[in-house]
Formats: sequence, structure tokens, C-alpha cells
Amino acid sequence: MGNIFDWVDSRFGVRKPHSKFLERRIPENLNYSYCLGGMAFTYFLILAVTGLLLSIYYVPSEKEAYRSIVMITNEVMLGWLIRGLHKWSATLFIIFIMLHTIRVFVSKAYRPPKELNWMVGVLTFVVVMASGFTGYLLPWDQKAYWATEVGTSMIQTVPFIGDYLVYAVRGGTEVNGATLIRFYSFHILYLPITISLLLWAHFHIVKKQGISKWL
Amino acid sequence: MERRAFLKRLINFSFSILVLITGSVLVYIYPSKMKERKLHYVYLIDEDELPKRGVRKMEFKYKSEDIAMINRAYLVISDNSMNAFSPVCTHLGCFVNWDNNKMEFICPCHGGKYNQKGEVTAGPPSRPLTKLPLKVMDGKVYLGIKI
Repeated sequence: MGNIFDWVDSRFGVRKPHSKFLERRIPENLNYSYCLGGMAFTYFLILAVTGLLLSIYYVPSEKEAYRSIVMITNEVMLGWLIRGLHKWSATLFIIFIMLHTIRVFVSKAYRPPKELNWMVGVLTFVVVMASGFTGYLLPWDQKAYWATEVGTSMIQTVPFIGDYLVYAVRGGTEVNGATLIRFYSFHILYLPITISLLLWAHFHIVKKQGISKWL
Repeated sequence: MERRAFLKRLINFSFSILVLITGSVLVYIYPSKMKERKLHYVYLIDEDELPKRGVRKMEFKYKSEDIAMINRAYLVISDNSMNAFSPVCTHLGCFVNWDNNKMEFICPCHGGKYNQKGEVTAGPPSRPLTKLPLKVMDGKVYLGIKI
């Protein structure tokens, strides 16, 4: 195993370009609460993998969406497992982001020069919530439909432009097939790409600034 | 436990987890057993509208999982027999056409030819045209297809 790694490393370069990162010093007395962000990221990876797998069988159309979900759960081998992993990882992803935020807040890790990373983190959280909201519609059952009906009508309360915003989000005057495809597209393309970029920035800043001590 | 031994065990453990995940992913991606398609009889034409002899292209409608479908088959009628053939060429699945002058089914893709009995007379097909079951009941002709 080591030989193979050395062979790749000498040609591709993993160790040397990353030595600053791999051999950096971290403060003493860190505890497990510093793993919460990493755990949230692990859930993101699980979501990415299971999401890719679900997209093999899911059909984002008015007629087929619910049927394909039932098929994934009942007929596809291990489909129940992949769908369950995706669903539960989504919930836990948000819970662990919250716990991570609490840790950062309590340990005062948002103080200068780390304010920018706090902002990036908050932005990530917003986009993750949007991901959760768009994903909730995809099973296309009664609960999903009415949750989206209620959720999107909240946008209507925005002063002056509320009506136009709601029209844009739903892709029509009411939640219908157009909304489903819109949400699907956002759920599997726009939002995950945005989260990936934000997380890259998040980790880049951590690498640059190092981990702060618990104050 | 020694650090080196622990790390070795950890690496082995991660690899077995990786193998397990890869295995489940492969199982998941592999298509589960298809539903067996059953033979259904679809109305084709009234018996007294049938031509005396010759080959006739028939269109018929049916429903597959609540979705309306239109499909076609060839009725070949001679003096004392009536056969139905699927128009799907047995070579690569193009739809064959009946040529009334040459008296042959001709496949437009690779020039496969079949005679009136559905037997191959030229070209790449290795099997004759698929014969479909027919049923006559109460003066109506029904075609058996798998849906």
C-alpha cells in the first residue's frame, strides 16, 4: 500500500504541497466538540453519495415522482437503506451544523480575524436549509405538497415584491409540476454546488488561520 | 496496544467498511427483477371487416400501466389461415414494412427480408418474424400481446 502511495505521490504530489497543512500545529486541550464541524461535513459527503444514487431511480415529474419514490423504497434492492440514509443524514446534517455553531459561539471562535469564516458558515447554513426545503417536496406526497404550499406562501409576506417572488419560486401561481422540477434542479444542482464552494472557502480560511484555542 | 498495530488495524477496518459500502452500492445500482409481463388480448378488428387474403397493417390501442399506447402488427391472411406478425425485425429491432409489389417484408435498416410466412429470405436476420397469438370470439379478432 505504501509503495503505491509513494508512486502516486512522487508523480502527483500530495505530501509536499500539503505538508504545511498536514504537519501544522494545533493547540493543546482541544476536545471532541471540535469534531462537530467535521461530523457535519461527513453528513454532507453521505448526502452527496446517497443523493447521486437516488438520482438513478428518481423521476422528477408530476406523474412519476411519487411512484418512483415508492419503487425506490419497496422494489429497488437496498433502496430503503439509501433513501433512509439520505433522509436521516439531512436531518443530522442540520443538527450538527447547529451544534458546531454553538461550539464556535461558546468558544468565541468568531472573533477577529475569524469573522469572515463565521459569515461563510452562516451562509452555508442558509443554503443547507434551502436544500432541505427543496428536498422535502421531492417525494411529491400530501405532506410534501402542503409543506411547500405553506412554505412558499410565506414568501408572499415580503413587502411589495412578495407576489412576484412567490410566482418565481413556484414557477406558476400554485405548486405544480413546474415547482417540482424547479425544486429538483435546485436540490441536485445549484444548491450542492453552492454548498461545495462555500465549504471550500470555509476550510480554506480554517487552514489559513489555524484552529483557535478555547478562550 | 502499540501505535503501529493500532493504525494497521484501523486501516484494515476502514478498508472492510469501504468494501461493504462498495458492495451495497453495486447491489443498489443493479436493476431489481422486472415484473413479468402477462399475455393480454387486445381488440384488433371485426371478423367481417377482414380482407379475404393479403397482408394488412393493423393499428391497435391498449393501456400499459394506465398510459395509452398505440402499436401495430401485420395480419397475413391466406385462403385457409390467418397469422399475426410483430413488425419488429429480429435482427436489431427496426420496424419492417410490407412491400405489396415484391410481396415481402423489408426491413429499412439493414435490408432484412421476410416472406409472407415470416421466414427470412435475405439479409442479416437469423430468426423469422415473431408470430403473435390470435383469438376469434363473438365475431371479433383479438391479438395477444405481452403487457
